Amino acid sequence: MKRHTTNRIIAGVAFLLLAGAVATSCRTADQTGGNKSAAEAVYVPPGSYDEYYSFMSGGFSGNLTVYGLPSGRLIKTVPVFSQFAENGWGYDEETKNMLNTSYGNIPWDDAHHPQLSQTNGVPDGRWVFINANNTPRIARIDLTTFETEEIVEIPLSAGNHASPFITENSEYLVSATRFSVPIPQKDVAISTFKENFRGTISFVRADKVGEMDVAFQIMVPGYDYDVSHAGKGPSHGWAFFSTYNVEQANTLKEVNSSQRDKDFIAAVNWKRAEECVADGNYQQWEASYLRNVKNHSGMARTEQLSGSRMIFPSDCEGVIYFLPTPKSPHGVDVDPTGEYIVGGGKLATVLPVHSFTKMLAAIENEAFEGVVDGIPVLEYEAVMAGEVENAGLGPLHTEFDDKGNAYTTAFLSSEVVKWDIETFTVVDRIPVYYSVGHLMVPGGDSRQPTGKYLVALNKITKDRYLPTGPELAHSAQLIDISGDKMEMLLDFPTMGEPHYAQAIAAEVIMDKQVRMYRLEDNEHPYAVTSESETRVERDGKNVHVYMSAIRSHFAPDNIEGIHVGDKVYFHVTNLEQDWDVPHGLAMMGAIASELLIMPGATKTLVWEPLAEGVYPFYCTDFCSALHQEMQGYVRVSAAGANTPLTYHTGE
Amino acid sequence: MSRLSRILTAAAGLILIVMYFSTLWRIDLEAPQYPEGLGLRITLTDVQGADEFDLQKINNLNHYIGMKEIVPEAIPELRIMPWIIAFLIGSALLAAAVGRRRMHTIWLALFLIISVIGLVDFWLWEYDYGHDLNTEKAAIVVPGMAYQPPLIGSKQLLNFKAHSWPGLGGYAAFLSMGLGMLAWGVDWRRGRRAGKSERAGGEGLPAPGNGSMAAALLLAGLSGALLAGCTPEPEPFHFGEDAGAYCRMTIDDERFASQVVMNTGRVYKFDAIECMASWLETEVADETDIHSVWVANMAEPGALLPALSARFVQSDAIRSPMGGGWAAFDSEEAAHDALRLLPARYSAAATEPGGSSEQGQARTRQETYSWLEMRRHVHIH
Repeated sequence: MKRHTTNRIIAGVAFLLLAGAVATSCRTADQTGGNKSAAEAVYVPPGSYDEYYSFMSGGFSGNLTVYGLPSGRLIKTVPVFSQFAENGWGYDEETKNMLNTSYGNIPWDDAHHPQLSQTNGVPDGRWVFINANNTPRIARIDLTTFETEEIVEIPLSAGNHASPFITENSEYLVSATRFSVPIPQKDVAISTFKENFRGTISFVRADKVGEMDVAFQIMVPGYDYDVSHAGKGPSHGWAFFSTYNVEQANTLKEVNSSQRDKDFIAAVNWKRAEECVADGNYQQWEASYLRNVKNHSGMARTEQLSGSRMIFPSDCEGVIYFLPTPKSPHGVDVDPTGEYIVGGGKLATVLPVHSFTKMLAAIENEAFEGVVDGIPVLEYEAVMAGEVENAGLGPLHTEFDDKGNAYTTAFLSSEVVKWDIETFTVVDRIPVYYSVGHLMVPGGDSRQPTGKYLVALNKITKDRYLPTGPELAHSAQLIDISGDKMEMLLDFPTMGEPHYAQAIAAEVIMDKQVRMYRLEDNEHPYAVTSESETRVERDGKNVHVYMSAIRSHFAPDNIEGIHVGDKVYFHVTNLEQDWDVPHGLAMMGAIASELLIMPGATKTLVWEPLAEGVYPFYCTDFCSALHQEMQGYVRVSAAGANTPLTYHTGE
Repeated sequence: MSRLSRILTAAAGLILIVMYFSTLWRIDLEAPQYPEGLGLRITLTDVQGADEFDLQKINNLNHYIGMKEIVPEAIPELRIMPWIIAFLIGSALLAAAVGRRRMHTIWLALFLIISVIGLVDFWLWEYDYGHDLNTEKAAIVVPGMAYQPPLIGSKQLLNFKAHSWPGLGGYAAFLSMGLGMLAWGVDWRRGRRAGKSERAGGEGLPAPGNGSMAAALLLAGLSGALLAGCTPEPEPFHFGEDAGAYCRMTIDDERFASQVVMNTGRVYKFDAIECMASWLETEVADETDIHSVWVANMAEPGALLPALSARFVQSDAIRSPMGGGWAAFDSEEAAHDALRLLPARYSAAATEPGGSSEQGQARTRQETYSWLEMRRHVHIH
């Protein structure tokens, strides 16, 4: 009997423990996974091309990366604002000057927003532009060579984030102060922010190579100007800028800039600004800034620019209006028709959409709720077309498709939300991994969006790829938007921190690609056009080596008569006139990167030998079957030694 | 007290020692950005992160919504609790040693009162953290939103889903209480029997079996209640928001939504029955992990049927999200009624999935399917 009881108790206790075990394991988790059939949608068979070139900003890498879509294959890194040892950008004598600024030669920046040039509001594939966020600059990249060919500084600015969004016919690229500062700079207490700090909105001429400059600037209140987009179609002639920190806090902005229910979207009428400039309604301000320009064969040249036409809104009525917009808007996106202006209030619970038509009517009727520094603030109700409910937590950016849909990213709820532009209602949503910032539909910010793919650019990667220590690649995700439902197709890692991206159909630019530079067009002062012109010339302590490279030797490849204390310039011309035959040059002990020289081009490496001896150099790019043999020596003698200057190849 | 109840009481006291070495309560947070999970572990003396820096991470996240920082040193309960539990252990052992029923009853009553106070206090603590928000300083203020995690169960708080469950220490406390009540029940039964047999004038054998029977029933009831609190169940659908687990489509048609509930309580939702069937075919290695399978009743949108008791039909006229044309009904008659209402051009051929319509050939055609038959017929992708 007793045994019986004990058994029951044991059974009871076991049952209780079991109940506990069941309860603890009883939790749910949503997991994620792609559809296996998606593989077909992204498969680009060996030897086939992708459908799109996608230009992704490199963020804090300072570069631009180019991916093929839909495969997600990285096909090119274009160095822009950062030195890039892989091809000598910013190290060799030809490109060093591209990194010149009025602060000196800066080897790095933070590149956020690629922007394709447009004609009639449609990407035309001539250039892609990108901004430098830290030391305000805008760069132009030529899409026949995928090389950066021009960089202009923005004077009287700081934190060039709302940039370089382009106008419909590439008239202007915009720029604005994400960080308001004293303009012009002066030594004041930071706590005098409200009184001394101001912002500027700049319009940079974009449509002529080598002639980028600041056409005019508008002095605006000291807020943080965040992101921009130009109007299109009926709203062509306007540009829109999101703002936050209308509280004008100068410390702990994460709290102090989030106090007001509404910040502003600034609507700038740049055609009106042009009139004011033409009528002389501006102030000529002192400004000093640089422009660096490089053609493919020459040296980059740095030009000094000066002066700024500064427009004050109070002297140029109608140049700018503020549209109240909920809670620290980040993205400001204009739909393909040019009518709707979507503000992504990153702390807001709804997504506000302003109407351009209503805005014009509100201006006409003077539906103002106030005036700030000469800038009328329009009534929210008078400009708002609708609010999208349930558009996700932390909405940031919106792009559009060709079927009347908008797609908005939600950072906190980590999803892309699709909504109907006419009804402002959400029609679909898809989770993304993780914490999405920008998104991109090819042509999605233009007058002719496509409707096949969407790329989500995610800030947090965590478990999406094999782990690689603390630092992980960021992640992009390709989503099929051709049907009613969005479908996740592919994850692919990205370099640096991609912010924005743009993409263009491959056929628009692939046939325009330069395969090599013509030797006969080489304008480099130290170029040689044949091996017979190669030589070494001494000019005091400077020694210029006019060198050629062709498969599989350098000329000259034996050089003697160099002394400690000399400065040796290796000017190497790649004599090849064939596709995909670059040569490289690396010199032992040179305090620089290698050179990587495209066929028909000339590059220069500077070497200052420190000790006597014989030093090898070699070709770094595997050019031919006898690439390993493509090497040479330089003999270095003591300073003052009487070794004669000689050079030869094959003797 | 009987020997048995004294042993049980001593065991109840000793089991409480587990509380010093384990988690009393666990709160786990789930969000897309935290695939690795985030959690709090509440012990007798501390509030810790599930992982080394989780508390720090949670405090940092909470500052966006203006929530107070969780500082374990500033929570007085964590100072007092070890002493209270020590008292309960000591008094249980004392009651077992002395063996007096009254003492045991007082111990049990104290234990119950302390437990209730503890849970209420914990709830108030959660309420305070969830509601006392510094909206002046918060970057994110959602009007009317509070962030109190549930005492037990799961709840969505902005982008986080919070799960709150007892830990080993919490279960040890429940077990201890169960044993204490069992001991009390044993003595109570015995007392009543003794009273009865005295009244009957007989010697009367003590009947431990009956006492422990009652106690076992009590235990079973308790366990049952715990289990019932957490029997894996289907979750409601959030149409237009939920994404299908397999086809990754947003689930927005309540006529075809379906779901699989695993033994762990995890739920997989699907936008179409055929999508779920394909998923079961390709993604589930061991079907014994499945607790139950649910399908929408097309005739009564929104209602879920156990797949095993549903009848299925297939027709191209049925526009299911994945195009398989499968629908479920709660009875053979309902399924036939639905088939009869289909346009005539479909009714001939389409009910034989995968089969061709061979006109004029007399063949018995099956019109409705059981769950298992349906699964054999499904081919998508």
